[in-house]
Amino acid sequence: MLLSVKKLEKRFGKRTVLKGVDFSVDQGEVVVIIGPSGSGKTTLLRNLNFLENADAGTMNFKDRQIDLAHPKKDDVHFVRRHSAMVFQNYNLFKNKTAQENIAEGLIYGQGMDKRQALTIASDELKSLGLAAQANHYPSQLSGGQQQRIGIARATVLKPDVILFDEPTSALDPELVGTVLDDMRRLAQAGQTMVVVTHQMSFAKNVASRIVFFDDGQIVESGSPDQVFNHPREERTRQFLGALAENY
Amino acid sequence: MSTVKILRVILRGLPNTLLLLSWSLILATVLGMLLTRMKLAKGRFWQGLANLYLNLVRGTPPLLMLLLSYYGLPVLLKLISINIEHWTRLMFGVFGLTIGWSAYLAEAFRSAYLSVDPGQLEAARSVGMNNRDALFRIILPQAAVNALPNVENLVIGLVKATSLVYVLGLFDMYNEAANLSNQTAGIHQLQIFVLLALTYWLIVLIIEAIFRQIRKHFALMA
Ligand SMILES: Nc1ncnc2c1ncn2[C@@H]1O[C@H](COP(=O)(O)OP(=O)(O)OP(=O)(O)O)[C@@H](O)[C@H]1O
Ligand SMILES: [Mg+2]
Repeated sequence: MLLSVKKLEKRFGKRTVLKGVDFSVDQGEVVVIIGPSGSGKTTLLRNLNFLENADAGTMNFKDRQIDLAHPKKDDVHFVRRHSAMVFQNYNLFKNKTAQENIAEGLIYGQGMDKRQALTIASDELKSLGLAAQANHYPSQLSGGQQQRIGIARATVLKPDVILFDEPTSALDPELVGTVLDDMRRLAQAGQTMVVVTHQMSFAKNVASRIVFFDDGQIVESGSPDQVFNHPREERTRQFLGALAENY
Repeated sequence: MSTVKILRVILRGLPNTLLLLSWSLILATVLGMLLTRMKLAKGRFWQGLANLYLNLVRGTPPLLMLLLSYYGLPVLLKLISINIEHWTRLMFGVFGLTIGWSAYLAEAFRSAYLSVDPGQLEAARSVGMNNRDALFRIILPQAAVNALPNVENLVIGLVKATSLVYVLGLFDMYNEAANLSNQTAGIHQLQIFVLLALTYWLIVLIIEAIFRQIRKHFALMA
């Protein structure tokens, strides 16, 4: 097991948003999390990267065991160093160019030599067909380009796992495909990924496992075929039924 | 009286005006950053101290601030055995303006800092940057860009406020002009003050041009 959390709890004020979540990811898995809005999917991902402080729970990541409510600074840094996050709103560094955005984590997160990092970033942009945008700032890039660079910023770190929070939901429909293609390629290359998305075709075709999340809990988890075609739980059926009507 | 002669008198005050402007701006920026840091600190003590200072200063007219510095500061410091009788009028002028503008700048810095998208810090953390690198490489540069419009307005306000140092008997452009007008029994008053206004206007134009360049340079980063 690469990453697992047990009994993860998170409250915002009086509201309990994560109600004792047990969640795990194996090396090489592509886990797609689906579920209704407000069910706590984003909060779960943010807790996995310590962007929120959990109220209870434990995490096992590689060889470390971490108390989620009281993580040691060193553990937080360790997890962030070996994982990466792709955000719904891209969150590219606005004061850095495309190339610098990709290099920044290599230099200041991993201590790589600056020249080497910039070379890696530039090669990465070339392979994405975005070489011409290397010196563009995020404000000069389309949403699709920004998110593809956001993904590149994560992948160059060679993280053990990349966490994606609705990476395409802020994009114009015609740009969604380019981003999903990058993600599909990553999955094929064996990258371990946890993806929150409403893109059901991606979930069906790329996921190795589907997790249906509702009301702060995992309702069911299984292969795409099992969850989509033979859901065990009534709530899953309702959710998928509502989706089918809306799309 | 010839325009050239009047301008020559006005420009005698230019060095003082520029010294006041630049020193007050530099010192107020440093103090303003310190105050911002205090206001954003977690400790209630530092926050409280900064708030007290900011409230006191914001409620005091700049003219009064200069008078209080000139007449009050030496008395106050004497209480703790610090003698500043050798201070020049220019130093008191700089002191008074620094106090005032540090508070205004602190407010501009704080709102610029708070207007940086929290997602920027999260992204920096998620790629493994430590807080210090995140602050200096990502957050503060963006805050600086955000602060530019307000800072520009405050600098222009400061240019005008330098004319208040006449109350300390300091000869800046305004005081030179007023003095000249008095010497000539006010006959050339209008001419003198129009020329003075044009001089200030020119300085403000230059400052605006500088800020325009800076803004243009950083436009893409906001
Ligand atoms: N910082 C916060 N403070 C207070 N409440 C929050 C905060 N972040 C999230 N919440 C609440 O927690 C609940 C879960 O939010 P979360 O964003 O995790 O849901 P989600 O499943 O990602 O939804 P969506 O599909 O709309 O993105 C929501 O009710 C939300 O209002
Ligand atoms: Mg969400």
